[in-house]
Amino acid sequence: MLLLQLLVNGLVTGCALAVVSFSFSLVYSTTRVFHVVHAGLYTLAGYGAWSLERAGIPAWWGLVVLPLVCAGLGALVQLWLYAPLEQRRATHLVMLIASLGLLAVVQNAIAAVYTPNILQFTDPWRARTVALGGVVLTAVQVATVVLSLVVFGLTLLLTRRTLLGKRIRAVASNPFLAEITRLRPGRTYVAVMALASALVAVPGVLVGMDLGLQPYGGTTVLLTGTVAVIAGGIGSLGGAFLLSVIITVLQNLSLLVMPGQWSVGITFLVFVLFMLLRPRGLFARAG
Amino acid sequence: MTAYLEVQGVNKRFGGLQALQDCSFTVGQGRITCLVGPNGAGKTTIFNAITGALRPDSGHVAFRGAALSGLSTQAIVRAGIARSFQNLRLYAELTVLDNVASAIPGQFGEEPLGALFRPFRTAAGQRRTRAAAMDTLAHVGLADRAGTHVRNLSYGEQKLLCIARVLATGAKLLLLDEPTSGLSGAALEAVLGLLRRLRDEGRTQLIVEHNTRVVMAVADEVLFLHQGHLMAQGTPAAITTDPALAEIYFGGVL
Amino acid sequence: MDYFYSYATLAAIYVVLGLSTNLLVGIVGIFSVSQAAIFGVGAYVTGYCLVNEVVGFVPAMLLSALACLLVNVVVTLPALRVSGDYFVVTSFGIQLLATAVFTNWTGATGGASGLPGVPPASLLGTELVEAWQNLALALGLMALCCLLFHLLLRSPYGRLLRAVREDELAVAASGKGVLRAKVGAAALAGVFGGVGGSLYAVFLSFVDPSSFDLNGSVLLLTMVVVGGARTLLGSVIGPFLLLALPQVLTMVEIPTTAAAAARQGLYGALLIAFMVFRPQGLAGEKL
Repeated sequence: MLLLQLLVNGLVTGCALAVVSFSFSLVYSTTRVFHVVHAGLYTLAGYGAWSLERAGIPAWWGLVVLPLVCAGLGALVQLWLYAPLEQRRATHLVMLIASLGLLAVVQNAIAAVYTPNILQFTDPWRARTVALGGVVLTAVQVATVVLSLVVFGLTLLLTRRTLLGKRIRAVASNPFLAEITRLRPGRTYVAVMALASALVAVPGVLVGMDLGLQPYGGTTVLLTGTVAVIAGGIGSLGGAFLLSVIITVLQNLSLLVMPGQWSVGITFLVFVLFMLLRPRGLFARAG
Repeated sequence: MTAYLEVQGVNKRFGGLQALQDCSFTVGQGRITCLVGPNGAGKTTIFNAITGALRPDSGHVAFRGAALSGLSTQAIVRAGIARSFQNLRLYAELTVLDNVASAIPGQFGEEPLGALFRPFRTAAGQRRTRAAAMDTLAHVGLADRAGTHVRNLSYGEQKLLCIARVLATGAKLLLLDEPTSGLSGAALEAVLGLLRRLRDEGRTQLIVEHNTRVVMAVADEVLFLHQGHLMAQGTPAAITTDPALAEIYFGGVL
Repeated sequence: MDYFYSYATLAAIYVVLGLSTNLLVGIVGIFSVSQAAIFGVGAYVTGYCLVNEVVGFVPAMLLSALACLLVNVVVTLPALRVSGDYFVVTSFGIQLLATAVFTNWTGATGGASGLPGVPPASLLGTELVEAWQNLALALGLMALCCLLFHLLLRSPYGRLLRAVREDELAVAASGKGVLRAKVGAAALAGVFGGVGGSLYAVFLSFVDPSSFDLNGSVLLLTMVVVGGARTLLGSVIGPFLLLALPQVLTMVEIPTTAAAAARQGLYGALLIAFMVFRPQGLAGEKL
């Protein structure tokens, strides 16, 4: 049944988007930088996995290699771009523009090397399907849901139970205090960026396998993710996850009544509604 | 006789903290009233409540008999109350003159249509505004620094500029948040002299102050605030020598 | 000589657009990546009016200016009431939504293939067909917009905007309307954008949606960053320099498929370089 299939597809893609959202939320609530390069790393991860496949390595290895690669890249972005700018007391606007510039470099480098056309993975495994009560799911789709939930669980565990997690939450709740005590927020920022970049590589690879690769698609994905972060409440990882799934399901259901190219309108509509009615989002942390 | 400024039963809660608790006091016209109290007593919070920067949970504020509750900050400034900030908040990239001029009300060309389509009238207005700003600067003693950028001013000069900006709004009631903190010697005397001059001209001032010497030097009346509530009120001498209040403020005698 | 006319006319048009961007980003300090979207609205409104012979050139340009003013005010108003980063999301949203509208509302915009056959501008009965005539029109409007920008900078409104950029709270405490000032700037930026878009439509005789996507906004941002923020000189040299860049690039060996991406990537690199090493641009003030 079409409705059910759309719903399920929405849930799957929503889970992938959720990882993009809550990983962005981690960076944003800790470093306060609106890190648009996140979209670039998401895209890069997908293309990286594609190149691995081209080189004869099964694409699933991408899920191991690319998070590591992206973690390193994310850490470098923090060390070589954001930290030096912050040291020079760069304004928020300057940070945003620098981040946007880097995103443009990444996306266009990918477009130059891989061409702007859509690329597809060829691994036959990804087409294996399973039928569940009237809907068809591909292996990639199942993997997406499972891995997204696992990764979310691990992240929650990390932020709640580990020392790093405690540091992250301390820095996030009071960056000024963290700076003047011995908390060394600089190191925490690098760790958060590495973690978030590793996380975003997972949906980058999985969605690439599921739907194909395109150099500039990451921007729309990140935009939807940030709306989910805001609507869910900044600082709430669970809120980001929930709203990501809801927005994506709504977008998919809207396909019943309007063409797919307008789905960004759904995201925008959700955003405007929250701006007008509840700018703090649903589950915002106090302070 | 209606009080010049009347704060009546104001309550404000932030999460778990009751910042203002049934806060009530009056301020007399043409006098310098000092608001003292330990940190966290609610002094800046009550400033925010009076100027419309935050909305109290209950209670009301009235100025010259008219209620201020629910009015926007813009409306309250128009009504005649303006404040300075503890952390200055001056426009660092603008000149001293522009910092003051920016606060002068009723300027022509302060919106796009007038500025673009009536350039000559705007220029004439600018000349008038600049002259008025120079007057204010002369009044506080900064006339010779008019063209300097704020970042090149001494701290004492910056404090004077804060007061100048408040004066420029034309306010009758000046709410000054720690106008002398961090000052000593000649710079401190300059500010004290200015505060006395303003009082002699008939302006009313409500000043948050931590320095007891300053309070003794300029205050006509002192309000002691503690835990968001008016604890005591009286002459500077009475308040500063009260051992119970000193206990709260310092844990000892002043 | 024709090439020079073409370059100079395009540069003049981009100066007008650059003034719009400089107003929003440089003077008010709002991060905007939706400049190209507004530019596109202006171009399509004039293009539509002239192709369908609804009105003449001058009324069409005024309609463009009005449309862009309204769009800017309506979409920025909700986001201007909350803090800066919400506007970043709004700006991305507007840009992506606009691109979707331009490429899919085939009835009005001609869809992805654009709107061809825009007739030349007609002023006081004369059709401006010659290259030098278009240049004269563009330079004339550019001069007018520069004059208005100059008046703005020196006016009390200009000073108010600079104060808003520095410390909104202090401005509000002085009894001035912050939101009103920002909305006024957005409206004015819209007007400049509409005029620029209008000129673009008649100069190229063809309105192509690919000029108005996120890459287009990055180009406009790069012009302001390189030329310099908050000054008239910066707004003029930015476009002239950046539009000369493709010529410089042709001297480097790049395959044509990668040429557009290389150019876009270069803009991104310029953004990063200037933010890190020279945030005031060549002739402006520090962002």
